[in-house]
Amino acid sequence: MAQHDVEITISKTGEVRAHIKGAKGKSCLAYSKWLTELVGKVKDQQLTSEHYEPEIKARINLEQNLGIDE
Amino acid sequence: MGVVLILTPVVIGSWPVVTAAVAGAAAAMGLMVSESVKDMAEQKQSDVEQTVEVELSDSEVLAQSMTTGQEILLTKGNIELRVKRDERGRCSVCAKGIGHSEVELKKIAEEFTQKMTQCFIYDKVVRELKSKNFQIVNEEASEDETIRIHVRRWMD
Repeated sequence: MAQHDVEITISKTGEVRAHIKGAKGKSCLAYSKWLTELVGKVKDQQLTSEHYEPEIKARINLEQNLGIDE
Repeated sequence: MGVVLILTPVVIGSWPVVTAAVAGAAAAMGLMVSESVKDMAEQKQSDVEQTVEVELSDSEVLAQSMTTGQEILLTKGNIELRVKRDERGRCSVCAKGIGHSEVELKKIAEEFTQKMTQCFIYDKVVRELKSKNFQIVNEEASEDETIRIHVRRWMD
């Protein structure tokens, strides 16, 4: 089991900052896509070192779970 | 570690969903939701009354859920805010008030649109997180009116 954490900050203007932790490889991007569809437009996106770590075979399950298309 | 994402909010929703955000923002700013628009129209108008309109640029109220001319009237003292769907389907806030400058009214209307956007996004995000079975680890509101939500889930 992998622990995925999302820290969401909604500013007083409604702008959203989300820090996704624990999701490796393309799983990170599945979360990004899901949040973008939910909130609005991407203003900035930065991949951290975790994104480049080996991916567990969980991305497809995650995408299905979040209800987003490839 | 992972991804850090900054998102600009887009307010797209049916009139009932927008209404819920309006009610939330109104409560936060101490505005009263007035039942009747006619009551206000019957009040005596002064020649020093100013009117300012602010539009939510990234907004869309789904037309099928709203009848033409539908709006919400909010009041606080002698300030009146009308939230409505304009001809282009966007949400706009019109501020009016006797004895207030155009600058003051614009500031109030902009503060309201920001609070309404925050309420709209908060409601939408929390509803989605619950539906996807995220566990809320912590939630807090700061003095600067920022809302922080920390959620967690476990994946196979």
